[in-house]
Amino acid sequence: MIRFPAILALLLLASCGQQGSSEIRPSKAWARPTIGQAPGAVYLTIENKGGGDDRLTGAATDNAAMAMIHQNEVVNGVARMRMAGEINIPAHDRIEMRPGGTHIMLQGLRAPLKAGDDFDLVLRFRNSKDQTVNVTVLKPEGQ
Amino acid sequence: MIHQRLRIVLWALVGLAALGGILIVLQRPSASTNEAAMATIGGPFTLTGTDGKPFASSRLNGKPAAIFFGFTNCPDVCPTTLARLVKLRKQLGQGDDALSIVFVTVDPERDGPAEVGSYAGLFNAPVIGLTGSTADIERVKKQFGVFSQKVDQPDGSYSVDHTASVFLMDRNGTFVATLSPEEVDAVALAKIRRLLA
Repeated sequence: MIRFPAILALLLLASCGQQGSSEIRPSKAWARPTIGQAPGAVYLTIENKGGGDDRLTGAATDNAAMAMIHQNEVVNGVARMRMAGEINIPAHDRIEMRPGGTHIMLQGLRAPLKAGDDFDLVLRFRNSKDQTVNVTVLKPEGQ
Repeated sequence: MIHQRLRIVLWALVGLAALGGILIVLQRPSASTNEAAMATIGGPFTLTGTDGKPFASSRLNGKPAAIFFGFTNCPDVCPTTLARLVKLRKQLGQGDDALSIVFVTVDPERDGPAEVGSYAGLFNAPVIGLTGSTADIERVKKQFGVFSQKVDQPDGSYSVDHTASVFLMDRNGTFVATLSPEEVDAVALAKIRRLLA
């Protein structure tokens, strides 16, 4: 009698895998301190433990007027920052946002970010539910 | 008849001399173009310090300097580069006095002495912040061959595309090398060590 629900659960899990649903785990979110009206940048790791691909489509925080996914690139020695659109997070894979590459830019911060502060950032995905990650403001040296 | 011949010979000599001169002039630049280009990066300048007073580049003389052009509304590349320079200077283990880290804004419209000052102060280590009039900044950009261009943002503000390299100057203010963001720390450290030697 006990086995039956267990088998059912396994079957359910297996079917989940076949449908290829994603399982998103954001972590290690951090930002550097900012001054005045200057925008901030959040870096984080997003892991997809599920069997289905997903996409990061947007971000929002009560702490800033706008949160945008940005991509930085150096072309012919010139640093260019542009909107990144959506970020692919393939099944069983992870993306790590690092300084000088992809980041979530916070424009119109309510107050400058100070080392030791923390705040919530909501991440939106194509397939998964919204995920909230806590962002820690580190010393300017970063990670 | 003799006079006429002499005249022809003399004119021919003049022609040859002129041709030789042209050849010398034409050959000279191609032989030393690289050196000339290297030597033209940098040069004396006067900008505005974070105290609002003129800052002459001669104040940098006496120790090597790492000069970076950016803007304070830059959330990613600029703090990453400045934090990296501070980290590299620490790794040298010769104290903050061994190398000046200089931040020059390419966005003087938004970055006055106060903005540049608090931005330079973010790194818990001495960083010299410089701004100036638009004309001043344009002149220094030209001296260093720095590119920058405003790019409109969806919220009505703007970002600035700009040269990402750091300029390493020796203790006499002569350009020696650049550091690029893609370069690994070991190479960057070796370059800075050579400056300090």
